[in-house]
Amino acid sequence: MVQPKKQLGFDAAAFRARLGEDVIVEGEIVRHRLSSRVVHWWVALSCLFCLLTGLPIWIPVYGWMANVFGGLAVCRVLHPFFGVAFFLGQAAMHLHWSAEMKMSPRERSWVGPKLLEYLRDEANHADIGKYNGGQKVYFNTSFLAGIGLLVSGVVLWCPETFPRALRGPAILLHEVTFLALFVSLVFHVYLASVAEPGTFNAMMRGTVSKAWARIHHPRWYREVVEGRRIPSSPQA
Amino acid sequence: MAVTVNALEVRRSSASLWGGLTGARRLPTVSKLVDTTVCIGCKSCEVSCQEWNDLPVVETKQKGSYQTLPELHANFWNLIRFNEQEQGDSLVWLMRKDQCMHCDEPGCLEACPAPGAIVQYANGIVDVNPDACIGCGYCATGCPFDVPRFHPKTAKMQKCTLCVDRTRNGLEPACIKSCPTGCLHFGTKEDMLLLANTRLAQLKKNGFANAIVYDPKGVEGTGVVTILAHGDHPEWYGLPADPTIPLAVSLWKKVLRPLGFIAVVGAIIGAFGHHLYHGNKGHVDPGPRDPDETPKPPV
Repeated sequence: MVQPKKQLGFDAAAFRARLGEDVIVEGEIVRHRLSSRVVHWWVALSCLFCLLTGLPIWIPVYGWMANVFGGLAVCRVLHPFFGVAFFLGQAAMHLHWSAEMKMSPRERSWVGPKLLEYLRDEANHADIGKYNGGQKVYFNTSFLAGIGLLVSGVVLWCPETFPRALRGPAILLHEVTFLALFVSLVFHVYLASVAEPGTFNAMMRGTVSKAWARIHHPRWYREVVEGRRIPSSPQA
Repeated sequence: MAVTVNALEVRRSSASLWGGLTGARRLPTVSKLVDTTVCIGCKSCEVSCQEWNDLPVVETKQKGSYQTLPELHANFWNLIRFNEQEQGDSLVWLMRKDQCMHCDEPGCLEACPAPGAIVQYANGIVDVNPDACIGCGYCATGCPFDVPRFHPKTAKMQKCTLCVDRTRNGLEPACIKSCPTGCLHFGTKEDMLLLANTRLAQLKKNGFANAIVYDPKGVEGTGVVTILAHGDHPEWYGLPADPTIPLAVSLWKKVLRPLGFIAVVGAIIGAFGHHLYHGNKGHVDPGPRDPDETPKPPV
């Protein structure tokens, strides 16, 4: 079959259709509408800038990153502002996705052995809806870590306005929450890019192929195709 | 070639792997001796500190005592604290020189994240190097004596330098030079301890049975040795009984940070390893394909 040549220029109808989510547009499924992607990349970029300004303060090994911004002292000034931007994005993200990211008791098992099963490709995917347990765990972990980072970060930002007794715990909380966020972020970036081809495009252009949807999120795929909500099966 | 800051060899440097001591020269640790029992609260040390270090006037605050300011300030590094303490039916009036103690194990240096922003010279003086200081204030968190202060204009931390610009030229610190009562002495730590212990014996003979030489072991001793007549109550002088680097700081630098670094590197190696071993995810066949499914599923 000869595919009709794609028209150049702005396709208003397709653009409007792509503003919806979980719909099929030009043979592809819209997984993330524009607003979802904007919120995601707001968080991702502010997180990147937090890392670039924060890592050199964390360990001198990353000192070279500070040169990007004009030195460590500049990083100390900028980092809190990036941090606030990051948290604002996270708050928006939470409002945007929290309903879809509610975890069932079964999905909590993704914190442990289920995640390893998934990484070994041994997990039963049949019942996975739009987001799998691992994604939900990451979403909620990063939000909790974001709250911890904000609270401790404000104390570290202006140490002189807070009681001395708070500063030590703030350093510890900032460190622990940063590690929780960063270690899980490494896996988030890896699994959403090179590990699963097609996933990165879901967050860039917003669409995935039907094959991708059927393989990684079968129940969601059926929902989109059949145009109805399918409850998760209890035995899967 | 030894690492030097301010033309002085560096023993230890913040956020750095190594200090600069080559061991080629024998450099004694220097120390101040503060004999609080003969301090008369004349504040000449305060004035000389301001003058020598060219510090601008800090507006005084009256709090019902002779004390110039409630606490140390970014532009006021040497504060005589006036403490009144009831002892039975009498009152003791205690003066103590509040300043950087130049700890042998400095909490500020341990907590500082900026390489070389806090240095401990070979002679034991602990100094802020403003070229490297980023003004984060972590040193204040690490200090068991609450000494370093943030200067809002320069966004750097400031504190007593033990007049490093004088001592490196063989002069005693400005405060020592101006003290009229012999309360302040300066020399090698060894000599100062000798002098302190002589004075201590004298005090004990004169009825101050609890007198001590305050040189706390929790920070491996201090570069400011203080004689306290009421050594059983260092808190009367505003001194902690057993100062140590705060637990949060040691836990952070000695435990969490190395573990965290391993965790981060491990996560990155783990992600690479996973891909090398497993390749792309999505081998599990979830069932029949749709006829219009294009392109082929990624494998």
